[in-house]
Amino acid sequence: MSVPALATSAVTASEVMADAADGERSIVAFLCRECAYSAADAAGNARTPLPPTIRTIMVPCTGRVSPLHLLAALADGADGVYVAGCLEGQCHHRVGNFHALDRVAFVRRLLESVGVEPERAAMFTMSAADTPRFVATARGMDATISRLPRLPRS
Amino acid sequence: MPLSARGRQVAGELRGGTSGVSAGVLGCEVVRHDELCVGCGRCVSACPTGAMRQDDWFDPAQLFAAPAGTGRGVLAAALRRIARHEPTGPFRVPDRVRTFRGILFNADLCAGCGACVRACPTGAVEACPVPVGDAEGVPRATASAGARP
Repeated sequence: MSVPALATSAVTASEVMADAADGERSIVAFLCRECAYSAADAAGNARTPLPPTIRTIMVPCTGRVSPLHLLAALADGADGVYVAGCLEGQCHHRVGNFHALDRVAFVRRLLESVGVEPERAAMFTMSAADTPRFVATARGMDATISRLPRLPRS
Repeated sequence: MPLSARGRQVAGELRGGTSGVSAGVLGCEVVRHDELCVGCGRCVSACPTGAMRQDDWFDPAQLFAAPAGTGRGVLAAALRRIARHEPTGPFRVPDRVRTFRGILFNADLCAGCGACVRACPTGAVEACPVPVGDAEGVPRATASAGARP
């Protein structure tokens, strides 16, 4: 799948999922550099156990994530995708997280229209200091995805 | 049907054009090819009479019809890999998603100026010459000079 790598992270979803064992589910998380990634970093520094299914990709702003990034990740083997950005009104680029919110809503409707569970795509917002919320959303997403059947891939 | 200021200007400058009159008076018939459309909305901004409008709904079938290799084609290929069935009906698009929208074309408002054809980056809007003479039995004439943008 020819999807351009995200500018700052220089990785694609298929690359971060390459180490997933057979049969293991994977969830790709697109994290905003300003907020959610800092929260994830703090969780890592504190050695908080996170679900092994989560694969993170740092983006400069959640407004960078397009429907194609989310769908290509699902098509390339992810069982779920989520976008985590700044709190509403606190985007460092003013409206990036609002754009992401609507794009994720669009992808959910698109998934629904082809018979795929819309819960596979989600959007969360959190502040840079809110490590507990990052951990809770990661675990919540892992629980949601583990309840769903595997995606058909042709 | 009221014309916009730009519409009146265009209609006044062109031979045969009358201010306030629309419906093909300026020479070409506009045909849209939805499968080539990328939803950029340039035809909407270019249209002087408001005949092109961005819809609040999007039909995923339009994605699946897009040619492979284009942006929408790549998106459709990804979606097709995980799809459980053929896409069902149009759905409402969230406000801030600007490109994944259908374009509504109202032929009654179209003045036939061809501004949308020149604005379209993918050739999804085509201008065809309109038949000359009355409707019955007269073969379609080729475009006279200036009729085609």
